[in-house]
Amino acid sequence: MTLWNRLHSWMRATLHRPRMESEMDSELRFHIEAYAEDLVGTGVPRQEAMRRARLEFGGIDRAKEECREARGANIMETLLQDLRYGARMLRKNPGFTAVAGLTLALGIGANTAIFSLVNGILLRPLPFATPQNLVSITGNYPKGAFVAMREEMQTFDAAAYFEGHEFNLTGRGEPLRLSGVLVSAEFFSVLGVCPELGHPFYPGDDKAGHDNYVVLSHALWQQRFASDPSIIGRSIELEGVSRQVVGVMPAEFRFPSPKTQVWIPLHSDSRDTIDHWASDFMTVIGRLRRGSTINQARTEIRMFQSRVFKLFPWPMPAAWNADISVVELHHGMVADVRRRLFLLLGAVGLILLIACVNVANLALSRSATREKEIAVRAAMGAERGRVIRQLLTESVLLAFSGGLLGILFATKGLQLLKATLPADTPRLADAHIDWRVLVFTGGLAILTGFLFGLAPALHSSRAALAESLNSAGRGAGVSISQRLRSGLAIAEVAFAVLLVIAAGLLTRSFLALSHVDPGFRAERLLTARVTPNQEFCSDPSRCISFYRELLDRMRAVPGINSAALINTLPLGGRLAKRSLEIEIEPTSPGAIMPLFWMDVVTPDYLSLMSIPVLAGRGFTSADDSGNPPVAIVTASTARRYWPGRSAVGSRVRLDRDTEWRTVVGIISDVRAYDLQKYVPDWINGTIYVPYTPKATLEGGRVPSDMTIVVQSSLEESQAQDVLRRTIASLNPEVPASEVRPMRAVVYESVSTPASTTVLFVAFAALALALGLIGIYGVLSFLVSRRTREIGIRLALGAQRRDVLWLVMKEGAKFSLIGIALGLTSALAITRILASDLYGIRPADPFTFIATAVLMSAVTLLACYIPTRRAMRVDPLNALRHE
Amino acid sequence: MEKQIDLLQGTLDMLILKAVSLGPLHGYGVLLRIQQISKDRLEIQQGSLYPALYRLEHQGWVASEWGESENKRKAKYYRLTSAGKRRFQSEAETWNRMTDVIAGILGTKPEEA
Repeated sequence: MTLWNRLHSWMRATLHRPRMESEMDSELRFHIEAYAEDLVGTGVPRQEAMRRARLEFGGIDRAKEECREARGANIMETLLQDLRYGARMLRKNPGFTAVAGLTLALGIGANTAIFSLVNGILLRPLPFATPQNLVSITGNYPKGAFVAMREEMQTFDAAAYFEGHEFNLTGRGEPLRLSGVLVSAEFFSVLGVCPELGHPFYPGDDKAGHDNYVVLSHALWQQRFASDPSIIGRSIELEGVSRQVVGVMPAEFRFPSPKTQVWIPLHSDSRDTIDHWASDFMTVIGRLRRGSTINQARTEIRMFQSRVFKLFPWPMPAAWNADISVVELHHGMVADVRRRLFLLLGAVGLILLIACVNVANLALSRSATREKEIAVRAAMGAERGRVIRQLLTESVLLAFSGGLLGILFATKGLQLLKATLPADTPRLADAHIDWRVLVFTGGLAILTGFLFGLAPALHSSRAALAESLNSAGRGAGVSISQRLRSGLAIAEVAFAVLLVIAAGLLTRSFLALSHVDPGFRAERLLTARVTPNQEFCSDPSRCISFYRELLDRMRAVPGINSAALINTLPLGGRLAKRSLEIEIEPTSPGAIMPLFWMDVVTPDYLSLMSIPVLAGRGFTSADDSGNPPVAIVTASTARRYWPGRSAVGSRVRLDRDTEWRTVVGIISDVRAYDLQKYVPDWINGTIYVPYTPKATLEGGRVPSDMTIVVQSSLEESQAQDVLRRTIASLNPEVPASEVRPMRAVVYESVSTPASTTVLFVAFAALALALGLIGIYGVLSFLVSRRTREIGIRLALGAQRRDVLWLVMKEGAKFSLIGIALGLTSALAITRILASDLYGIRPADPFTFIATAVLMSAVTLLACYIPTRRAMRVDPLNALRHE
Repeated sequence: MEKQIDLLQGTLDMLILKAVSLGPLHGYGVLLRIQQISKDRLEIQQGSLYPALYRLEHQGWVASEWGESENKRKAKYYRLTSAGKRRFQSEAETWNRMTDVIAGILGTKPEEA
C-alpha cells in the first residue's frame, strides 16, 4: 500500500512536474498572503505585513527544495538538474572536455573492441541448438574406433569429423581446390543445425558405397553455383568422383572452421584396414543425452578407451589417448585463443587505467579553478553529498560521451583487429558489436566516470569554504592535491612502463623469430600446390609423368631458372608421416617403428632451396628411376640413429616395403614445422626420398598433392601467370592453389606472434602518448601554480639554471619512481608472457633497461615545455600575476 | 505569554496529523490550529511545515485537494486518510507511553534509585 502510494506520488511528481511546481508556488504564496492578511488585521501596514510574513516564513527556496525532496521527486529531478548543469560546465570548458573526452574515447574504444572479440569468441553461446549439451572428446580416433564408440556410448550421441582434406572441384569452369571436412552421418544432427537448402546427411550416409553425397557451404554455393537453388539433387565432380549435393549450409554455419567449403561423408569401410584404423584420426564431438552429465560421459569414455586397444588390428602405444577426457565443445574450440584474448584484455585494461588517471589529473587541475564555484554552492546551502553527486554526475556524463565516441572507435578498431589477427582464429567472424558489448561499454563508462571522478570530487568538496572565498583562489588542500596528482602521474608512468616492456619483449622475441635461419633460402621463389585428382594419380606413373612434364615445360619458359617439387613445403602447415625401420637398429616384432617425416622431392629441390648437403650427395636425375631406392636424412636424424658413425651407406626400410633404401646423403636440418621447431616432438626423424612410384605414403599411394617451387627472374605476377597457363595447358582439370611466394609462406607461419606483437606495440604506443600528455599536464599545472614563487626566486637573484632544476626535479621525481615501480611489477607480471616468447627470457635485461631509458626520455620530453615556460617567467609579471 | 518552546524532533508530523484529524485544513490553517491548540506555546518554523505536509502526503497519511478558503481564495486543503488515522493512533500511543516512561524517570527521587 505505502509502496504503491510512494510510487504513485513519485510518478505523479515526475510526470506532472510543471503543474506540481506551480501548485507549490501558489500554495506557499497563499500561506504568506493569508498570514500578511492576518497581520494587517492586527493593524500592521500592508507593506510591512508582507515583509514580516516573508521573513517569518524563512527561506522559501529551501522550503521548496525540501518539499520536492519530501515528495520523492528529487532523485530524478536532481539527476536531470545535475546532468543539465554538468553538460553546461562541459560546454563551457571545450578544451578540457575535448582532451578528456578523447582520452576516454581511446581507452573505452580499445576496451570495447577487445571485448567484442572476447564476447564473440568466448562468451556468446555457439550458434547451435542447446549448445550447453555439446561436448568434445579430447583425443582423436580412427574411423574404426569411432564407429565402435558411436554404437557403444550411452551418455551421448557421438559424431566425428576430420579437417584437412581437400577436393578438386572440376567439370564447370576453372578447376577449384576446395577445403573439405570428412564428417560422420550424424554430424549435423548432433550439432542441431539444418541446411538452409536441402537436407543434412541421414544415418548410414557415411557407409562405403552409399556415401556419394556432399553438403556445400553458403559461400561456395554463392560463388561457384550463383546461388542456384536447383543445385540440390544435382551431382558435382569432386576428385573425379561424382557426388550428389544434398544440402547447402547457412552462411553463419562455420564449423569446424570458417574456411570449410564442403562437408563429405566419412566413408567408413571396415574392409580397408589401413583407411579404417590408421589414417584420419578424427575429432569426436557429442551431444549429451537427456539426464546425462559431462562427468558421466567422461567416465564412459575412459572405460571405452581401456578396451579400444583390443579392437585395433595392431598394437597401439599405451600412452595413446591416455589422458582422454570430455570437455564442453565451446571450451575445446577456443582453448588456444583464450589466453591470448585475456592478454589483450589486460593490455587495454591498463590503457583505460592510464586514460582514467589522465582525466582525473585534468579534473583535479580544473577543480583547483572550480574551488570558488563549489564554495559558493556550498555557501548557498548545498550539502557535501550533493556537491559530490553533482561532480560525479558530471564525470559520468563525460565518460558517457567518451564512451559514445569510443564505440565509434571500436567499430573501426574491430575491423582492424579482425584483419590483424590470424584468419584461423576460431569464431572470429562471430565478433561484432552487439547488445552485450554495448552493455559492457555502458558499464565501463559509468565505472570509468566514478574511477576518475571520485578523487577530484571528494577533494573539491572538501575544500574549505571560507578560505577559498577569501584567498585569491589559492585555497587549502593544494598540498593534498599536489600529492594526489603526483601519485596519479607515478601510477601512469608505471602502467605505461608495464605495457612498453610487454611490447618490447614481444618485439624482441618476434625479431629473434624473424632472424631464425629456417635452413633454406626463401628469396625469389614462387610456390603453388598442383593437385591432380586422386583418381588420376591412382596410376602412379601417370601421376609422376604429369608432374615431370610440368617441370620440363616450366623450365623451358624463358626467365624460369629452375623448378622442383615437394610434397610438404617447409612451414606450409602440412606434414607427411611414415613409419620406417632402420637396418642397424631392427624393430623387434610387436614393437613400434620410429615415426618419420617423409619429404618426397625431385632432384633439384635441395639446390633450389639452398639446403646444403653435409655428407654424401644430393639426389640426381639417375635416382628418378627408383632403382636402386635411395634416401637422404637430416643431420639431426643422422646424429640420433647413427651416433658416432656415418649414416651414408646404411639402409632403411619404409613400413610395409620389402626393399631397403640406401642413405646416400646427409643434409642440414630445415625448420619444416614452424620457425621455433624443426619438427614436432612426436616425430622421430626426417627422411627425404625421390619422387618415384616407390615413394609411397602411409596409405600406400604416391603423393598427388605436390607443391611446385619455381625460381625465376620474372616479375611475381608474371611467373604466376606462366605457372597457371602451363598447368592448364597440360591438364585443364588440375587446379593450382595456394599460389604464393615462399616469403609469404614463411611470413604466414609467424602470423600469430606477429599479430600479438603488432597489437601490443600499438597499445604501448597509445600508453606512451597518454602518459606523455599526463605528465605534461601535471607539470604545466605545477609551473602555473608556482609562477609567483618562481618570480620571487628570480627577483631574489636565482639563476635560470636553478629554475630549470626546480621544475625538472619535480618531473624527475615522479618519473623515476614510476619507472622503478613499473619495472618491479613487470618483473613479476611478464612471466605470463613466457610461452609467447622465443629466444629471450621474460626478465630480458636489455628490454628492461631500454624501457627505462625510453621512459626517462619520454618523461623528460614531457617536462621540457613546462620547464621552458618556467625559465621564461618574468619576475615583474609574475609578481603582478595576482 | 509563556515562553515558546522549540518543537521536539519528529513531533511535527504527529501534530499535523492531529490538526487535520479535526477536519480538512489548508497549510496556514494547520499552523493556526496547532498554535491555537497549544495556546501559542509551541514555536513552529513556517518553512518546515510544508515539507512535512508533502512528506505525509507522499506516505499516504494525508490527502490533498484544492478548495476555496474563508475569504474566497484558492487554497490546498489537507485531510486525514484512514491509513493516516491508524498511523496517528499508533503514534499517539507510542508517544504517551514514552512520555509516561520519561516522566517516571525524571520524577524518580534519589532514595528510590
